Amino acid sequence: MSNQDYYVPHGSYWPIIGSIGVSMLFVGFANQMHHVSWGGPLMVLGGSIVVFMLFGWLGTVVNESVGGFYNKQVDKSFRWGMSWFIFSEVMFFAAFFGALFYARVISVPWLGGAGNNMFTPELWEGFKATWPLINTPGAIGQNGAEFSVGFKLVDAWGLPALNTALLLTSGVTITFAHHALRKDHRNALIGWMIATIALGVLFLGFQAAEYGHAYHDGLKLTSGVYGSTFYLLTGFHGFHVTLGVIMLTVILYRIQKGHFDSENHFAFEGVAWYWHFVDVVWLGLFIFVYWL
Amino acid sequence: MNIVIIAIVVIIFFALGWALLGMLRGGSKGSDKMYKALRLRIGMSVFLFILLMFASYMGWIQPNNFLPA
Repeated sequence: MSNQDYYVPHGSYWPIIGSIGVSMLFVGFANQMHHVSWGGPLMVLGGSIVVFMLFGWLGTVVNESVGGFYNKQVDKSFRWGMSWFIFSEVMFFAAFFGALFYARVISVPWLGGAGNNMFTPELWEGFKATWPLINTPGAIGQNGAEFSVGFKLVDAWGLPALNTALLLTSGVTITFAHHALRKDHRNALIGWMIATIALGVLFLGFQAAEYGHAYHDGLKLTSGVYGSTFYLLTGFHGFHVTLGVIMLTVILYRIQKGHFDSENHFAFEGVAWYWHFVDVVWLGLFIFVYWL
Repeated sequence: MNIVIIAIVVIIFFALGWALLGMLRGGSKGSDKMYKALRLRIGMSVFLFILLMFASYMGWIQPNNFLPA
């Protein structure tokens, strides 16, 4: 492949396989929601095709990269692609953090009478504007009392602090791995990558345990605005950690295959940045959900 | 205290953004910039976590785990 031309893969069948898989996944999911018998199996089949497509397509890209098909222009396009992906991720979490701030700073004080002190006392007598909002107007609590949800809050110094320490440590280990890669210290690189992946898996395990505790204490998605923002933010974050662990594992596999050196390791950089981002999102969650 | 915490969070965001620009640039200079920015990011994050623990121990801040009266 010439260094001047832009590399265009011809005759790739992965896009159509991906389209079929995604369509089956969503049609299956929608029907599963309507309790149609074939909905679930179709969803699983579609999901499996998507996973197969991801391995196949990304595997093709890796082979093309290792085979020397890519020039500087392609390298640049990967960097821009990663940057736009990151932009979408930042916007995604900004929306959920925005919902948290809107509820805390605007909606709840407003319901409590700030700025309009006329409707709330008549509509919901005895309503207290607090954060976390324990008593949600209109919600019927476990004990049947009006707008009494009655959940216990997660202790910030329990599992959340442990998980913060775990993720921050994984941020340190991936920085060591980054340093080792830049210095071509292969064994150290592999060791730090394994440590990072292990810390990520441990985080997910503790997060599942925390969900178990929170759910047992009555904090659910239906527990008013606090419950819904808590689970959406931490749930999507957990999903991102899961994806990050998968990506780190793929990178570890590629390191062992000798795909990277101290000069060329964009895939590592992309995944490392993503891991740092996921770490920062958690730090934001830890501070704004549990502390401030 | 809240202002200090938020100021450190802002520095962390900037470091992460700086690293992104380094990654976008590529080459040895970009790679260098990215690595240094990420190092700053993790350093500030660890510092913030320790600061939170210390501030909580000193009673300067309280977690959100109290039940409102």
